[in-house]
Amino acid sequence: MSELALFIVRAGFLIILWLFVLSIISIIRADLFSERVLSKVVEKNLPTSVSSPTTGITSVGNFSAAPGSATIVSAISETPATLVVIDGPLQGLELVLDRKEIRIGRAPNNEFVIDDDYASSQHARLQRTDDGWLLQDLNSTNGTYVDGARIGAPVAIKQDMQVRIGKTIFELRG
Amino acid sequence: MAKATGLFRVMPKKRNLELLMLLFGFGLFAFELSQVQLATIQILREDAWFIWALPVLAASVFHLVLRFKASDADPIILPIGFLLNSLGITMIYRLDLVKALDDPDRTVGERQVIWTVIAIVLAAAVLWLVRSHLSFRKYIYSAMALGIILLILPLLPVIGNPTSGAHLSVRIGPISFQPGELAKIAFIVFFAGYLTSRREALAVVGRKVLGIRIPPARELGPIVFIWLASLGVLVLQRDLGTSLLYFGLFLVLLYVATGRAFYVLVGLVMFVAGALIASRLMNYVGDRVSAWLDPLSDLNYGAIGGSYQLVQSMFGLAHGGLFGTGLGGGLPSIVPLAESDFIISAIGEELGLVGFFALLSLYMVLVARALRIANAHADDFSKLLAVGLGFVIALQCFIVIGGVLRVVPLTGLTTPLLAAGGSSLVANWIIIALLLRLSDTLPKPGTVSE
Repeated sequence: MSELALFIVRAGFLIILWLFVLSIISIIRADLFSERVLSKVVEKNLPTSVSSPTTGITSVGNFSAAPGSATIVSAISETPATLVVIDGPLQGLELVLDRKEIRIGRAPNNEFVIDDDYASSQHARLQRTDDGWLLQDLNSTNGTYVDGARIGAPVAIKQDMQVRIGKTIFELRG
Repeated sequence: MAKATGLFRVMPKKRNLELLMLLFGFGLFAFELSQVQLATIQILREDAWFIWALPVLAASVFHLVLRFKASDADPIILPIGFLLNSLGITMIYRLDLVKALDDPDRTVGERQVIWTVIAIVLAAAVLWLVRSHLSFRKYIYSAMALGIILLILPLLPVIGNPTSGAHLSVRIGPISFQPGELAKIAFIVFFAGYLTSRREALAVVGRKVLGIRIPPARELGPIVFIWLASLGVLVLQRDLGTSLLYFGLFLVLLYVATGRAFYVLVGLVMFVAGALIASRLMNYVGDRVSAWLDPLSDLNYGAIGGSYQLVQSMFGLAHGGLFGTGLGGGLPSIVPLAESDFIISAIGEELGLVGFFALLSLYMVLVARALRIANAHADDFSKLLAVGLGFVIALQCFIVIGGVLRVVPLTGLTTPLLAAGGSSLVANWIIIALLLRLSDTLPKPGTVSE
């Protein structure tokens, strides 16, 4: 082979080898970002008729006093309407689920505040969808567990499924 | 839930991605083989078709098994494994083409092709038969016993087959095998299972002295035992690399299980102390260290088992430079054992630093995937198993590539998936099968496992 052809083959091989490596890396990238695409899709599917809260609600106590709960509960009758804490420091607490999104975490700006060293400040969120409540872990340090298994992607929460965050265990009831 | 799971298919199907990357790898393999033939013998040999076709067939079968038995497994592990394996075959075949002038009966490349097929078929069988890695938890002490038996086999009188001072391989008829390669998988299963049950005790119990929590003496027992066992490997099998591999693996899993650097510190001090004493008492360890520190001295260069090989490999890498001599264009056959221990130097010479980094990135991605799988699993056993399987590849690469590049003293280990050697291929393909199984059994999006 001539010098030029040899050079082209040599350089070509290295370029193709690196193309292989870069394709592999692009697959990893697609894998990493596919979950973000998912959450956008979920948000789009949420019912738009439910009005979101306009005022900043800062604590658990304020939450159950929020107005407008009855209409939504009757509109989606199968969807659980209360959150009951069955174990942990807040045992016995009941929350009326009257909005489309419930944020859970240690920080006081969450709708459901869990004051626990094992909870992250923005730990998880419950979102109302046509099919019921969807629980999503917000990259918390210690994870969110549903019936004993740590969740990776959003999970639909049915009645009597036990959700554990830190030392707190709660479930949704009708 | 059916509706919701539909949303998770934003990414192309994993198996289709895998097929695409595999086809890329098949093409690259054909490119490599044609290039080495044209560069070394100036013609394309038609009788060499099976060198391409057999591994390609085996990888395709493995891909089909994945489609049916582990459809959610990671899509990039198999293509990376195939690419590394096929580049190794190309290099070994290329050395055969040159060395055949002196030794017409040389068939290292053909044997590597056959072992590749055997290894991939065995890996496919493992994937087929092992539905869940959690079933290994029942057999952790059997795994330990199996590992120890495999380690002892080469020391037995009839089947033991000492080569260049090390007692590593077993020979039955024409087939020689290194059981230590398979033993590492058995030990990973054992360490993962053992540490899962003991991690609480190892992590929490103990008195605090000077701010460092010292575990009670009885919890140190297993560590001392593993230390003695790895020193035993060093003394009896005369192999520093294997000894370092097992001990390093144990320390890392211990650290991952307990999160306490104390163990790593104590372990490293113990190992270095043991190795120093060994280098005083046993000549071969001392020779390796002095060849590492001063390879260009007349004394080391001229000695039998000295630094000749290392120096030739350094010259080869320098000859390759940044972009390499091109496949088939260098002189890697000057380096003794260029097809096994020193395959990295042959590749470095012909692909240059640029190609060498591509190769290292592939290893890095493979290990990173294993750690990601570990991170995504919920239970301790799966986490430790995935970390162990990934880290053993990383550590072995470090020991052998570091040895060739003079970062650490040279020890005889195989470069995973690249180097000539059946047992190494079988062990590493089984590791790949287990990683694929672990990635397939991850908690699925949108469903609750268990």
